[in-house]
Amino acid sequence: MGLSGRFRSALVIGGQGIRARKLRTFLSMVSLFLGVLAIVTVQAGSVLANRALLADIELRMAKDGTTRVNLSSSGKTVPIAVDTLAGRSDVVGTLTATAIIGEPGVRPINPGPSPLKYANQDMYGNSSRMVCDSSGTCRVMEQDAAGILPRGQAVELQLVLLTGDIRPYRPFPVEAGRWLDFGGPPSLSPSLVLNREAATALTQYRLPAEMQIISEAKNPTPRIIGTVHDANEVPTAYVRADEAMAWMSSASLGNLSLELYLNGDGEPLLQTLLARMSAVSTDPVEPYRSVVNSREHIGGQLDLMRWIFLGMAALVLLIGVAGILNVGLATVGERVEEFALRRAVGTPRLLLAGIVLAETLITGLLTAAAAIGVGVAGLQVAGTLFGDRREMLHDVAFPWEAGVAGVVAGLVAGILGGLFPAIRAARIPIATVMRA
Amino acid sequence: MSDVPLIHLDGLTKTLTGQGEPRPILSGVNLTVHPGDSVAILGRSGSGKSTLLSLIGLFDRPDSGRYLLHGNDIARVPERRAARLRSQEFGFVFQRFFLLKHLTALQNVSMALVNGQGWLPRRKRRAKVMAALEQVGIAHLARHKPARLSGGEQQRVAIARALVREPKILLADEPTGALDTETGALVIDVLHAATHRGCGLVLVTHDHAHANRMQRVLRLTDGMLVPEHQGVFR
Repeated sequence: MGLSGRFRSALVIGGQGIRARKLRTFLSMVSLFLGVLAIVTVQAGSVLANRALLADIELRMAKDGTTRVNLSSSGKTVPIAVDTLAGRSDVVGTLTATAIIGEPGVRPINPGPSPLKYANQDMYGNSSRMVCDSSGTCRVMEQDAAGILPRGQAVELQLVLLTGDIRPYRPFPVEAGRWLDFGGPPSLSPSLVLNREAATALTQYRLPAEMQIISEAKNPTPRIIGTVHDANEVPTAYVRADEAMAWMSSASLGNLSLELYLNGDGEPLLQTLLARMSAVSTDPVEPYRSVVNSREHIGGQLDLMRWIFLGMAALVLLIGVAGILNVGLATVGERVEEFALRRAVGTPRLLLAGIVLAETLITGLLTAAAAIGVGVAGLQVAGTLFGDRREMLHDVAFPWEAGVAGVVAGLVAGILGGLFPAIRAARIPIATVMRA
Repeated sequence: MSDVPLIHLDGLTKTLTGQGEPRPILSGVNLTVHPGDSVAILGRSGSGKSTLLSLIGLFDRPDSGRYLLHGNDIARVPERRAARLRSQEFGFVFQRFFLLKHLTALQNVSMALVNGQGWLPRRKRRAKVMAALEQVGIAHLARHKPARLSGGEQQRVAIARALVREPKILLADEPTGALDTETGALVIDVLHAATHRGCGLVLVTHDHAHANRMQRVLRLTDGMLVPEHQGVFR
């Protein structure tokens, strides 16, 4: 009851004080506003950047906690592996090949395949081609001059063969059409799901829909059934492994790298798979495992930047705190008789300090509410204006962490700005009323 | 009159220390006030009347001597307990009314109830405040701010503020100093009425007419209280 009574008393009297000095409270809020807004903005920016970066990495690498296993493979082991993994929901295997969609017998616009931004630039010379791996790392490879083909309407793609649905690990959002169906029997006309880059290329260059799988003589006619966002700059197509492998020789299958995505270590499955693969392989099958831990990795990278910006915002906040402090001290000076009188009627010193602190805390909280409101509105305006051009601003929601940071900043500013005035108020001698 | 006095001062001393030489202001004050007593204290300016009142009201502490409240020595009571005693036992009326100009009469009186010493719901608080304002005859002015009240009305609001917690002792420091004679007499009437309900009253004043209406009149001379004469209300 005592604490509750004091707390309520502080709020009631603090509220009366604020109502009696509305203009002064408003000016204090103005001085504090920019600092709190800076904190809110930095925190919101940091959270949004973190989310965007993490989402991109999840698409490219996999969700945190996913175990990725790379296995050396051969023409004999790949069918064994695909057969072992088929129909399993706890693991997905991928094989990465290269394919060209477009006119046959021509040099694709992006040999390698390279990102479309380098299309038709021949920046590496006619005798060179850029080759990118599944992680997006690209390198220039020299090419035999006799093998150089005339340039034509064709796009080179990374062709990712999947033994199952990879989206539990890499959550590709479907942007058009539909995702691959792994349930039914395989089709001789492979279904392809393109990434944005590949879809753009096919739309831009109006390519005939024949697909040549590199090193294969037979060309399937694929059916393009959808588009996903996979955060990969290299044109990529996703296909059911069994549908693509029908068009591939065991020699070319042996050149593909096999990668597994699974939750946990998947040790029993892995042992089974290794045993079956080793049984048909002359070379030992060596697994290389890695566990995706992007959050910690990018967290470290972003934290430094965030702390630097938060430090700058805190400086702006301190200027606001100085404003509140100044107003607070002046107000206490004006209210000496009021505080002495309150002590005379039995108000404890601690409550007097609490009253002053309550006023500055309420001011800080009101400022925080205003800054958060402006932050929410600003983000909505930015989303409306730039959402189409900036992925991270598209349909973005105001992060709750920024709201919490704003409230904390308001409270801290209220405490810092109100502490000295509160101490001074508590020290006002009660006999002031007798000598007045 | 009960056997245990409300307050009993025994040899209270106080020396004011400041930038200059220490100045003994009270040098052995003895005073006893029973429930329903009214005591007037006269004295020239600087004689220590207000200092004595601030010691009785626990605004300050004596250098030596005993101060018994309901028989308990509170001369060295810590500040936290002193605040509680000020709230529970004492009502204060000052020469200047010390009303907060941004609050209505009702809120000014309510201030004594919103002091962190317990909590009353708004409705009960309002009922008590209105009763106190009724007691001093200005309930109809409850919603008025001090600027719209006359001096006498403001002092009555201040008295209502002192009475609202139903104190055992009223301490009034020249409550009529800022009022004309007629209004001052009304204010003394209101203060004196409180003694009929068993409340002790200690009135510091320069005005002999007001002092003579108290049961006892004392003069503070050379730091000690001496009887002036018996008042008319005895």
